[in-house]
Amino acid sequence: MNINKVLIIGAGTMGSGIAWWFSSLGIQVHLQDESDEQLLKAKEYCTSQTLKWAAKNQLDQRITQDILNLTKFIKKNEWDKDYDLVIEAIIENLEIKKGLFRALDEFMDQKTIIASNTSSFPIALLGEDLTPERQTNFLGLHFFNPAPVMKLVEVISSVHTDKTLARDLYSWFEAKGKAPALCKDSPGFIVNRVARNFYGEPLRIAQTDDEQKFKEIDHILKEVGGFKMGPFELMDLIGVDVNYSVTCSVWNAYGQNPRFTPHKLQEDLVKEKRLGRKTKRGFYRYE
Amino acid sequence: MNNIYMDGVIINFGFSSKEEKKKLLHAHPDKSIYMDLTCYNPTEFYQEFPNLKGIFSALFADESKRIEIHFKEENQVVLDHLVELGFKPIKTTFTSCGFIFPRTISQIINEAYYALEEGVATKEDINRAMKFGVNYPKGPFEWSEGKEEYVKTLLLELLALTNDERYKPNKALL
Repeated sequence: MNINKVLIIGAGTMGSGIAWWFSSLGIQVHLQDESDEQLLKAKEYCTSQTLKWAAKNQLDQRITQDILNLTKFIKKNEWDKDYDLVIEAIIENLEIKKGLFRALDEFMDQKTIIASNTSSFPIALLGEDLTPERQTNFLGLHFFNPAPVMKLVEVISSVHTDKTLARDLYSWFEAKGKAPALCKDSPGFIVNRVARNFYGEPLRIAQTDDEQKFKEIDHILKEVGGFKMGPFELMDLIGVDVNYSVTCSVWNAYGQNPRFTPHKLQEDLVKEKRLGRKTKRGFYRYE
Repeated sequence: MNNIYMDGVIINFGFSSKEEKKKLLHAHPDKSIYMDLTCYNPTEFYQEFPNLKGIFSALFADESKRIEIHFKEENQVVLDHLVELGFKPIKTTFTSCGFIFPRTISQIINEAYYALEEGVATKEDINRAMKFGVNYPKGPFEWSEGKEEYVKTLLLELLALTNDERYKPNKALL
């Protein structure tokens, strides 16, 4: 498999991170966003990442010189037709995403692989309006934040995706230093599903809104379990609302299966706007 | 099940049925007993047996040998003995069923088994995803290797205690 030219759509945190990771491999990248401000931020991010990684001698010398030349920050009307791979990393809105995929299907060469970085929508649903030919090279490529650092890429095949393509991408990512995982198109894929209990069970152990309890549970899970962060400090970092929303999404997608039932304590915090570090109050207080 | 007998104290290690654990406590009402209760409900045991003076959860200990320990009556000799055996006891005030780590990890393992049953991914890919996507120190199936019986027993205990279907073990664990 050859991937020499990539389009990333959406210059937010994930899009910028994914774009920089591809450019750090010496691959030509176009990063598209309709917001000038977002593109400027993305450019600054890519420059600072390059300097940071170069300082740690973690970048090929030649690539360090070229990295910003390899990345072009563009608007939609500057799309080329001949990308090997397009990855969508825009807002999690089903209709907006589906509209984008219809436009990509119409515009791009037939050989172009089109992927979504969605964390919540079924891949088959996102691609349901695409031509049957395109559906075979349409799939999910779910990166984790921060994309240049986190090795996992969930390679998600829908029922229509060419299985050889998914396996080839798996091998390609593995060869480039990522740790891919092949995954069926199902709610939460692997991580957002299996990780739910890392939050849900400690919430049930704590039962009540008590900072001392959260502190002790975080401490035990780090010390005994070897986790880098405890569930309460991690929810505060991610955003209690964001974590609650993922839980609700998985719970609803599985027909409100009790294994995923959200905890009332988390719901209460969201209602009280105790959303974590960003509001200076979540499970903990941040002064 | 292994027991260490000391002057007036018994330390009970290992996995056994709830009945066997209770039999030991019944048989030695005059001794202070410190017991591995990883898979059972400590509240029930503490209420029923005044001679149960402390509990720990060593069944899920990995190579770091860090374990949770709760004292109703702190005993330095017991702590020293656990340390001599290589354990690193970490005190907790929680006496929830499965304490904190075994309960949390059992539920993560259970969900991984459900995902495997549904063909979401292979064992290897599920392990890899959790290690490289969210920095878990081990994958769920690496954690559960050789501990499936403990996971099942703890989940069934939680299911009986709460009557909450969320604790229903996946059939691969039964």
